[in-house]
Amino acid sequence: MSHEAATTAKRPAALPRLDVKSLAKSYGTGSKAKVIIEDLTFTVETGEVVCIVGPSGVGKTTLLKCLAGLQTATSGSAAIDGRVIDGPPREMALVFQDYNRSLMPWLTVRKNLLLPLRHLKLPAAELRERCDSALEAVGLTHAEHQYPWQLSGGMQQRVAIARALAYRPEILVMDEPFASVDAQTRFDLEDLCLKIRDDFNMTILVVTHDIDEAVYLSDRVVVLGSKPARVLKTIDLDLPRPRDQITTRSLPGFAQQRTEVLSLIKRPA
Amino acid sequence: MKPHQLGRGALGLLGSIVLWQLIAGTHLAGAALPSPLATFAALGADVSGGAFWSAVGQTVGVALLGLIASALAGIVLGVLVGSFPAARYSTLALLEFLKPVPPIVILPLVVLILGPTAKMAWLLTFFGCLIPIITQTMAGVHDTDPVARDTARSYGLGRVEILWRVVLPSAMPFIGTALRVAAPVALIVAVVAGLLGGGPGLGKNLYVAQSAGDYASLYAYVLVLGILGLLFIGLSRLGERRLLHWHPSYREEMV
Repeated sequence: MSHEAATTAKRPAALPRLDVKSLAKSYGTGSKAKVIIEDLTFTVETGEVVCIVGPSGVGKTTLLKCLAGLQTATSGSAAIDGRVIDGPPREMALVFQDYNRSLMPWLTVRKNLLLPLRHLKLPAAELRERCDSALEAVGLTHAEHQYPWQLSGGMQQRVAIARALAYRPEILVMDEPFASVDAQTRFDLEDLCLKIRDDFNMTILVVTHDIDEAVYLSDRVVVLGSKPARVLKTIDLDLPRPRDQITTRSLPGFAQQRTEVLSLIKRPA
Repeated sequence: MKPHQLGRGALGLLGSIVLWQLIAGTHLAGAALPSPLATFAALGADVSGGAFWSAVGQTVGVALLGLIASALAGIVLGVLVGSFPAARYSTLALLEFLKPVPPIVILPLVVLILGPTAKMAWLLTFFGCLIPIITQTMAGVHDTDPVARDTARSYGLGRVEILWRVVLPSAMPFIGTALRVAAPVALIVAVVAGLLGGGPGLGKNLYVAQSAGDYASLYAYVLVLGILGLLFIGLSRLGERRLLHWHPSYREEMV
């Protein structure tokens, strides 16, 4: 899997799944303009996990909103299979950091999963099947009739992930998805994320400020510098698959690559 | 309510009746304050007559109809106006200005146009409840979590679907409060429409009893109105609790 980027590079005809080119975003105009993102270029290939790391407040959320079609970039573009994103793309599902604000408290777990599906006008049997299999994938079949606020933080984020899965996206975009849960739960959710990649050949883009998490999850890490956001370096990782919370994290390569990313972020920009 | 709370409530009620009897017994207020016994006797006589029940029906009907109509109109208007910042800002000052104005001020106008009818009472109740429901709905729409909106948008939900499935439920706690406050107001306005505007119902009976000097009957009607008020508040609370069972203020009762 980690060699996929290299293979694709040999086939120039193939378009990257997600292609971000010179993306820039600023608010206001003229001398009062506040530049949030200066110039971002990176790609994500099918089945890859790519993490974007950078200091907090760097504009990662703004970047994701541009990718998700919720905001328009000031210049540059983001494209899926060569098609420029100009509105929420059908192929993409977003998982937010604040699961308790992203899940609707008045809907049960199952109805939360159904919320994005209603406008797709699917037959009832398929709706049922999609919800069942998504809940099973995150191990929450038993909680389908509960309300999100009756569940623990980690379970709520699983519900948010299940909702994304039921939408059957090809690209899963996650904004600091595991920042609001405890350490043990975070490990579980990281492994869930990798399992989803393997089971569904999902393309996954994760924004995080946690360098260990980025190195553990990724095939590639895009390191951002701050104010305004720009790519400092894109690092291809070659840690063996499948990854394991104990053995992968104790590999010499893990420490090496972690140090490489950390020194980029720590270094005065 | 727990049994001992109910017990204390009954004790307070009993105490106030005793106090009432004591004051009435001194004849300080003369005939204008009948004793509880006389009042209950008048109430008993009223309750056995069909005219009384039709008056109750008219007043409750006017109050409920006005409340439901103002809720529907207020929620629709509040969601629409609240969804467009330009509309919101251009109406906010006007609505806040109108909010404390009692509906009685338009009573002469409404009576002039519609006469002392149930329709007049209904319209007055409608206007009496409308403004707070609009402003509360607007506040609720404004309070919708941007993350919830972004979630819905990112999943490709359309504007109308977002309004219906995300914004409206988000605004429900605000709307619930507005309705709970509006329910007794509806009853008050429905009575006032009869009392001052001559519309049919308990208000008119109240006026007739007062002009006839039939104070026992007058107070019997006051008692009935008090009981109706309790019923309205109780029902609106129950409705709010059912509708908002998911809201943090009601959650603990579910778990």
